Amino acid sequence: MTKLILNRRRFLGTASITGAALASPAYLRRAMAQSGGEVNIWTYNDFVPEAFREQFESETGIKVNVRLVDDQGKQFNLLAAEQPNPTVDIMTVAGHRFLQFIQSDLLAPLDTDRLSNWSNINPTFSESDWSTINGNKWGVPILSGMEVLSYNTEVVSEEEAMTWDTLFSQEYANQTAYIIQDMFSIIMLKMGYDGNMVEYMDDPEKAAAIVEEAKNFLIEKKPLVRKYYDSGAEFQQMMVNQDIVLGHSWNGPAAALINDGFPLGMTIPREGSYGFVYTFNIANNAPNSENAYTFLDALLASPEIGAAMTKASGFISTYKGASEYLTDLERKSTVFPDEQLANLQFFRAEANEMKYSLVDPAVEAVKAA
Amino acid sequence: MSFDASAKRGGHAPDRQDRTFWGRLAGWGPYHTLMRLATASPRRQFLILAAFPILWVLTQHLGPMLQMLRVSLTDAYPVAPGVEQSFTLDNYARFFGDSIFWMPFFRTLTFAGVFTLCTLLITYPVAYFLARHVSRRNQMLFLLLLLIPFWVGEIVRTYAIMILLGNTGAVNLVLKTLGLIDRPIPFMYTSFSMGVGIVYLTALYMLLPLYSALEKLPQSMNEAAADLGAGAWTRFRRISLPLTIEGISSGCTLVFLISTGFYATPVLLGGPSTTVFAETIAGFFHVAGDEWPTGAAFATIMFAAALVITAAFQKLMGALRKGDRK
Repeated sequence: MTKLILNRRRFLGTASITGAALASPAYLRRAMAQSGGEVNIWTYNDFVPEAFREQFESETGIKVNVRLVDDQGKQFNLLAAEQPNPTVDIMTVAGHRFLQFIQSDLLAPLDTDRLSNWSNINPTFSESDWSTINGNKWGVPILSGMEVLSYNTEVVSEEEAMTWDTLFSQEYANQTAYIIQDMFSIIMLKMGYDGNMVEYMDDPEKAAAIVEEAKNFLIEKKPLVRKYYDSGAEFQQMMVNQDIVLGHSWNGPAAALINDGFPLGMTIPREGSYGFVYTFNIANNAPNSENAYTFLDALLASPEIGAAMTKASGFISTYKGASEYLTDLERKSTVFPDEQLANLQFFRAEANEMKYSLVDPAVEAVKAA
Repeated sequence: MSFDASAKRGGHAPDRQDRTFWGRLAGWGPYHTLMRLATASPRRQFLILAAFPILWVLTQHLGPMLQMLRVSLTDAYPVAPGVEQSFTLDNYARFFGDSIFWMPFFRTLTFAGVFTLCTLLITYPVAYFLARHVSRRNQMLFLLLLLIPFWVGEIVRTYAIMILLGNTGAVNLVLKTLGLIDRPIPFMYTSFSMGVGIVYLTALYMLLPLYSALEKLPQSMNEAAADLGAGAWTRFRRISLPLTIEGISSGCTLVFLISTGFYATPVLLGGPSTTVFAETIAGFFHVAGDEWPTGAAFATIMFAAALVITAAFQKLMGALRKGDRK
């Protein structure tokens, strides 16, 4: 496994450097106007390609300071604690968490006119309903992810993986894992309800009853699960160690394993699943707002950069034409059949306050049971 | 002094530039006056010496805890723009009013107690061997060997346990090679794997106080007891154990308190049925709820409970010591 990872890293390094080199002319011109300084970014591991970062720094004189984060809530708390004088310029918010950040005055509206490369984003992501709130854009969509059912292809068949029921079957007892918080939305969807809970905003009693039903289901199935996990790295580790053969995961970590040569497959089961989009957002009162716009415009300059982000993170690029710069294996790990994509819907934020006020205690109840 | 002496001897006095910084400072009038005032009485000397440690404890130890206590008594933190923060006891009421939080709370205390006992039972013989049977010349070498795993951080050592106990880990591999099992034993993500991890991580905190207590144990007492016909078990029960009770008490207190606060190890090694209270607390700080005050209140409750249990344990140990003296 180590060898595979090393090979992949070497490959990624070469590919990223090539990609960034091809992309460079688009932002070299803007760089002439820059006078250095810095831009501070909070983001997930591998979301800013290293080769792009190095080239951006050398050509613009703007130092890129990346602080790695692993959770939306942590970013929210950090930023809320720092406002109104944040140390961050750009952070990484999932589209369905926008509302919480916006309502707390943590994000600045995005002026897309200042991004000459805005049109390089696929309109599916840049113009979809979740991306516009209060008449403003709030973030640059960079990568898209979804909740999938991942399986070891040497043990589980694709047909079995086409339903969430397999995750709770006796046959794979104690060989499964999931993120319990995310699983609530999926279980609600599997039961025929709206996992976003937008439909029940006017009927809190029904919403509570649905969460209760999902909670009871997960408690009943608790003896079958090996692990409630939190991070993609944990999922990868469990798969590689063969502690699990089947699990709910985000497509990014699963795709990274596939690209490493691990016998893994992933599906969007027929009962449906949820997708989300990671966006780069500019913080309200960002100390280096001008540099933040320069960075974002450079990042959007070419599909090769989007492809490099996909290669490193495993998530799907939002850039037009990025898939042309992926290998067949990488494309396979980031492309789903149309009939499966038809089962996908995006997370929505409108009912989040009600949803999480019900789901959070339910999660604790399942863990305590 | 040397300055004057050299002048008297007829040599030339070094000019100001030849003197060191400290030499110049010592000769500086205001400094001289300040030092004379500061050291005028033993009481002043004590206050000056105590000032830094007291300041350190207040700002670095008590400060964050008091801040946590303050946050636990508020209804909003961090405070969003336009929101007015007010004080409340609701965060504490939430714990006592909802039984779903009691299970991880009591589970944590139970785990901490059991793992402390396991650590004591495992490390006592090691400390005994080290203190009583290894020559003094080699004791430092053995201690150094025992300390080697502690040169790396908690997370790295936790991952080492994962490598050992995983389905494809060393333990299963050995068992399979020996033909003892056909399929791997699922050690990971159970209370067993979590226990192994916590005992491994806390062993040093038990070992050092035990070693320190056992090292002071006079050999002559055991020899006298043996001469009077006491067997090994009797000698241990009547001499070694009572005389090392302070070491046991210190080690158990340290390990228990550390065990109640472990977060990363239970998250990485534990399973669905081993959720500890630290995970519940962390959930309030960074999962969707983002409820710092509730997390702070729950942390305060755990802190208070751990202190009460530790105080009771110390009292019990104190009573045992007094009983032995009688």
